[in-house]
Amino acid sequence: MFTTPRLILIALGAALNFSIGTIVYLVKLPIYLDSIGTILTALLLAPDRMAAFFCAWAAAWASLAVSGLVNPFLPWFALTDVAIALVAALVVVGAAKIFRERPRRSGPFVAQVALCGLAIGIVSAVVSVPVVVYLFGGVTGSGSAFVVALFLKSGQHLMSAAMLSGLVNDPIDKVLQVLLAALLYRATPGDFIAMLRGPAPAIR
Amino acid sequence: MTPNGAFAVGFVLIALAASNPGPRGLALLGALVLAFALIELRGATVIALRRAAVVVLPLAVFMGLVWVGFVGKAPYQIASATAGTRDAALAYVATLSGRLFLIVVVAQLVVLRFRALTPLQLIRALALPASAKRVLVVTLSLIATLRHAIDRAHTALIAAGTLTRAASLRNLLHGWRLMQAVWLSAITIMLGRMRDKWPVENTIARLDRALASGEARPFAGADRIWLPVVLGAGLLILLADRVGGAP
Repeated sequence: MFTTPRLILIALGAALNFSIGTIVYLVKLPIYLDSIGTILTALLLAPDRMAAFFCAWAAAWASLAVSGLVNPFLPWFALTDVAIALVAALVVVGAAKIFRERPRRSGPFVAQVALCGLAIGIVSAVVSVPVVVYLFGGVTGSGSAFVVALFLKSGQHLMSAAMLSGLVNDPIDKVLQVLLAALLYRATPGDFIAMLRGPAPAIR
Repeated sequence: MTPNGAFAVGFVLIALAASNPGPRGLALLGALVLAFALIELRGATVIALRRAAVVVLPLAVFMGLVWVGFVGKAPYQIASATAGTRDAALAYVATLSGRLFLIVVVAQLVVLRFRALTPLQLIRALALPASAKRVLVVTLSLIATLRHAIDRAHTALIAAGTLTRAASLRNLLHGWRLMQAVWLSAITIMLGRMRDKWPVENTIARLDRALASGEARPFAGADRIWLPVVLGAGLLILLADRVGGAP
C-alpha cells in the first residue's frame, strides 16, 4: 500500500495542508482550508478507497505534527482529520471520474463538489463540536470564533452555538476545499497519477 | 536524554495542559515545565519562551477581542445561564491563553532540546517505523520545496499580469491559479526527482541507510528520571484542585 510514490504523495498532501492552513489561520478567516491536501490525496488514489483512506489519514496527521508548532489548537482535532479522511475516501473518491472528465460538464461537477463538501462539512462539524466545547469552552483561535460569539450573543446555549457555528462554517469551508482539491486534481499530470496507482515496487 | 524520552515527556506535559487543570494544578504544571526547561535547556529556555509568546500573544489578543470585547461573558457563565461579567471573560481567556502558552513552550522545548542535531539526525533517533521516518523527512524537505515553488509561481504570475504585488481584487479572483501553479511546480519537481534524480543518485536507499544507522534507543539516561517524575507530578496536578478545598 505504501509505495514510494504514495509516501511522496502523503508528504505533498501534508505540506499542502500545512502551507495553506497556516496562512488562513494566521489571517483569522472564518474558514480553515487545512484539509485540501487530505482530500486531494484521497482523490489521486481513486478508485482504491482503502489506500485513499490510509494515505489521506497519514497526510492529515503528518501535517498535524508539523502545524502543531504554529497552531496549538490543531492536535486536538486529530479525530476530525480521521473523519475527513474517511468521508473523502468513501464519498469524494466516487466523484473522481466526474472531477477529471474532459471536457468538464459543469452541472455534475458543481453538484458533486457541493455534495462532497456538504458531507465532509457536516461530519467534521459534528466530530469537532465536543472538542471545541469541552476542551476550549467554545474558544478557538480561528476566525470561526466570531461566529460562535455571534450565536452566543443571540442567546444560544454554548453547545448549540458551537454546533450551529460548525454547521454554518464547515460546509462552506469544505465545499471550497473540495472545489480547490478537484481543480488541483484536474490539473495534475496523468503520468503522476499513473505512478501513484500503478504497481510500483512496495517498500518495507 | 533521548529524543524519544523528550517527546514522551512533552506528550505527557501537553496532555496535562489540555486536561483543564485548576489554578493550583496550572501553577504546579508551570513549575514542572520551568524545571524541565532550566535543567535540560538552560539558556535556550529564553528562546522557547520568546517563540511561544510570538505564537500565543496575537491569539490571546484575538480571543480577548471576541470574548471580553464582544461576548462579555465567560463560557461557564453562558452554560449556566447566569449573568456574565467581562472580568470573568478576561479571567477565562487569560487561563486558556496560559494553558496554550504552556503547550507551545513544551513543544518548543522538546524541539530546542535537540537543536544541535539536524532534522535528519533527530528523525533518525526516533523509535518509529522506517516508513514513518521517511514520510517525516520527505515532508520537511517538501515544505522547503513548496516555499520555493510559491516564490517562483508568485513571481511568474505577477510577470504574466495575472496577480499584482499589492492586495487587489485581481488577486482574490485569480488566487487559486497561484495554488494550481504551486501544485504543478511541486509535482513536476517530484516527478523529476523520482524518475531521474533519485534513481541516479540512489537517494531512497541512501536515505534508508541514513535513517537506519545509529541506534534509536526508546528510553535511556535522563529519560528514566524525567518520565517517572513527570508522571508522578501529573498525578499531583490532576488531584491538586480536587482535594483541600477551593484555592
